[in-house]
Amino acid sequence: MNTNPQLQGIESIPGTYIFDLRASHKALRLNRFLWRLSFPIDRARFLANESEAMQAAELDKTEQQLIQARDWLGLVRYGASFFALEKLARVLTTSNLEMYAAMRSETFDQFLKTRRVPDAR
Amino acid sequence: MATVIGGICTSHVPIIGVAYDNGKQADPAWQPLFDGYKPVAAWLAHHKPDALVFIYNDHCSAFFFDLYPTFALGLGETFRVADEGSGVRALPPIRGDLELQIHIAESLVNQEFDLTVFQDRPLDHGCASPLPLLWPHEPDWPGTLVPIAINVLQYPLPTARRCFRLGQALRRAIESYPRDLKIVVVGTGGLSHQVHGERTGFNNTEWDMEFLHLFEHDPEALTRLTHADFVRRGGAESVEQIMWLTMRGAMGGSVRKIHQNYYLATTTAMTVVLYEDSEYFANSPANTERPVRAG
Repeated sequence: MNTNPQLQGIESIPGTYIFDLRASHKALRLNRFLWRLSFPIDRARFLANESEAMQAAELDKTEQQLIQARDWLGLVRYGASFFALEKLARVLTTSNLEMYAAMRSETFDQFLKTRRVPDAR
Repeated sequence: MATVIGGICTSHVPIIGVAYDNGKQADPAWQPLFDGYKPVAAWLAHHKPDALVFIYNDHCSAFFFDLYPTFALGLGETFRVADEGSGVRALPPIRGDLELQIHIAESLVNQEFDLTVFQDRPLDHGCASPLPLLWPHEPDWPGTLVPIAINVLQYPLPTARRCFRLGQALRRAIESYPRDLKIVVVGTGGLSHQVHGERTGFNNTEWDMEFLHLFEHDPEALTRLTHADFVRRGGAESVEQIMWLTMRGAMGGSVRKIHQNYYLATTTAMTVVLYEDSEYFANSPANTERPVRAG
């Protein structure tokens, strides 16, 4: 649902998930968990035991599964902010380009072939 | 009186910072980007502004969605550069001019831009990715920064028109500062890109060129666009170009573009543009001497 006149017609743009107050409210716990991965203490905790860290943050089953599966597109559709997701990617040493490929359901090499200067990384 | 002498627009893609730190300045894939900043750095070295007002957005480094400000001004004599998960960058802390920051905050609020003021929060790649390409930093930065963060992450975002008007108010704030400081306003972000969803990787060079043309000659036309217009034409995350409009609002009616570099390598059309303030350079003939000319 969109009630913001600035976003009128946004539904007609494919493959785009607007991070608005509805998404932000729904996914607050998930985004907080992702965001906290930029703090060394939470990063270490996640790396030591992923599921324990997620349970401690009271993520629900769906949220935990999305993270376990590294389902970048699913996380975005669920309501994760891309800029919170980036913190998870850094912990997993996944590059942004690898995330992009996954969101397009392409292999990394397939995705690079669509880019003008694939070596710029 | 403080004066706006020019404006710079630049992308703030995090990978620019990574490539810079990894010494890729002469790498064939990166050289077109780094070379594109050299005339801008030379102009800054020549005109020696005292401060850069940096219009940027925070990427969940200083703020989180439990309290995410629409407009926020950074207050402090130093700002640390955020560790965004890849470690601390080898950059000195960014310096701030407290009295200038306070004056701008007071002036903007008195002009009814009721912004948030933050202290003791780091600046992330929104500022730190392009900054070393503009200013040298060894042993220290040559001037100070006034960081102004705009929410371009969580809708509702401020409208394009509101961002433009913020820039107009910023110019009045700068011009009412009693000390003789030279100021350059930097707008960051863009150009076309989308980094989420199945539409990730979307670019639109034709629109980027139209945007650059309107930005220079008819910025009011851009203030009539909705966020959905930006998303459709330039990709979802290109909506951050509304931050360029704040810089444009601070530049007064006419500007003179003296340098532009556009480099679309992977996903973001990485762009840097330098504008001189027509009023400043018209009123001070001695100022027209410059290291670079329009190409």
